[in-house]
Amino acid sequence: MPPQRTRPRESTGASASTDASESPPALAVEGLTKRFGSGADAVTAVDDVSFTIDRGSVVGLLGPNGAGKTTTIKSILGLVLPDAGSARVRGIDVHANPRTAYRHVDAMLEGARNDYWRLTVRENLRYFATIKGVKPRSLTDRHERLLEKLDLLEKADEPVRSLSRGMKQKVSLASVLASEADVVFLDEPTLGLDVESSLTLRRELRRIVEERDLTAVVSSHDMDVIEDVCDRVIVMNEGRVIADDSVSALLRRYAATGFSVTSADFTDDLLDDLRARFDVVETTAVDGATRVEVATDSDGFYRLLDRCRERGVTLEAVGTVEPDLEDVFVELTGRER
Amino acid sequence: MTADGADDATTVGERAGYLDLARAVLYREYLLFVRYPANAVGGIVISVFFFALLFYGGRMLAGRAVTDSIEGIVVGYFLWTLSVGAYQSISSDIASEAQWGTLERHVMTPFGFAPVALFKGVAKVVRTFLTSTIILAVMLLITDTTLQLSAVTVVAVASLTIASVLGLGFAAGGVAVLYKRIGNWLNLLQFGFILLISAPVFDLGWTRLLPLAHGSALLQRAMVDGTRLWAFPAADLALLVGVAVGYVLLGYVVFRYTTRRARRLGVLGDY
Repeated sequence: MPPQRTRPRESTGASASTDASESPPALAVEGLTKRFGSGADAVTAVDDVSFTIDRGSVVGLLGPNGAGKTTTIKSILGLVLPDAGSARVRGIDVHANPRTAYRHVDAMLEGARNDYWRLTVRENLRYFATIKGVKPRSLTDRHERLLEKLDLLEKADEPVRSLSRGMKQKVSLASVLASEADVVFLDEPTLGLDVESSLTLRRELRRIVEERDLTAVVSSHDMDVIEDVCDRVIVMNEGRVIADDSVSALLRRYAATGFSVTSADFTDDLLDDLRARFDVVETTAVDGATRVEVATDSDGFYRLLDRCRERGVTLEAVGTVEPDLEDVFVELTGRER
Repeated sequence: MTADGADDATTVGERAGYLDLARAVLYREYLLFVRYPANAVGGIVISVFFFALLFYGGRMLAGRAVTDSIEGIVVGYFLWTLSVGAYQSISSDIASEAQWGTLERHVMTPFGFAPVALFKGVAKVVRTFLTSTIILAVMLLITDTTLQLSAVTVVAVASLTIASVLGLGFAAGGVAVLYKRIGNWLNLLQFGFILLISAPVFDLGWTRLLPLAHGSALLQRAMVDGTRLWAFPAADLALLVGVAVGYVLLGYVVFRYTTRRARRLGVLGDY
């Protein structure tokens, strides 16, 4: 079963929630810049990045390899020292007051290698909760619920090293959620997982985020993960933010409108005729018929129907083509993943 | 709102203190020790093997000369195993945490990385004490030797002595985080410990300022001559504490500098 798409909140980069005037946002990044190297060899990995994330939002950080996603996350967390800019978690300047800020923020940066494989699942949760400044015995109930939700209860007293890849990834997520951090960064949380494990993880992640009113920043190459889990997407390319909006708004704004027509009457000659007149994106054989996908607006669609009628084509089906985040990504960055 | 501009967090759990942190770090070390004893047992076997080689080989070659100074050799070897254990466990622990990916989580702690690293160091020293004590017992059996073992004196003097090595371990760990994969070079340093342990502190007074040297001399007096902690001159004890604190601080400064440089270069956790 694919995860249910629930989008309880729609936020944009510029928008603010109703209580934003009363309390600081979960995360505010201002002018973050990081260069590596010097002189002609200098590379600007993060280039004047600014954004604000409201509490309870799940924001996807999307971009091709080398776009600066991980460096941005690490610069926000102070694990990489930025050259300029600031990052505030719940109003606390992470770089000026890291110890106070770290009480509220945690990160899964190394996938399944985010915890100790020679300790058991439960021991990891207790250890990392303490490291994050909370007495683990005061969070026992929360840990048990977390283990139950992530389907780890049966394996809770087994060393992590004996678990499957998917389970290890879940333990890693659990250990990040084991403390009281209310802003979490998840860098490629589903990397290397099979389809089933990935679906389970993102479904549970979304559920936990909503239940605990967490704020999460999810960096992933997997567009499905971003679409399923995130309310909003920040797209980065060459160290810069090139788009920042809700998933649905991005789909509306950037993806070309598309329509499809399906018929058994399409001949090669007719398809060439359509290609000459319309922006034919794809032709696909479907049960003895041919489905033609055309990128066009509604006027173009009516012209397409007229042309088919003129050529004596009996249409079996017509429909709209739903764009996905991958189309937006290609449109924005100009490159395939 | 709090003083630093943050609003109050919705807390569910009780805040952990430094005692909880120490307990968690020591408990983790204990779990690894009892659950995976092969590594510790292997270390003990290798250490005893090399000591036996040294003792029997030395007796064949040098005869009574070795037998007459066997107490000193046993104490020196005991201190060397302690030092190597503490140094290696600290430096390689930091490097392996960086390599594995958990170092960054220890940096992102509200306690600050220094206390976490310090408690981890103490945990390693406690563990090293346990294994070195076993090695000492086997050495005494092999050589049929007796030593004046006042637990309080030996633990106090030996702990302060290897504190300087703890500092070196932190510095080495920091250098390993910055430059990566230089463990073999850093391990060479442990052979230098032999020179430091046998440094001529009575002939060359300044060598007392080196790591291990002064402490080694005091430990010899404690374990061979039976000198109790309170019987040492105050100046000797003050120097022991001063050297320990000095090298721990120096190691911490180097560690701070190297990890900050690693953060600047973006290589804190990247191997």
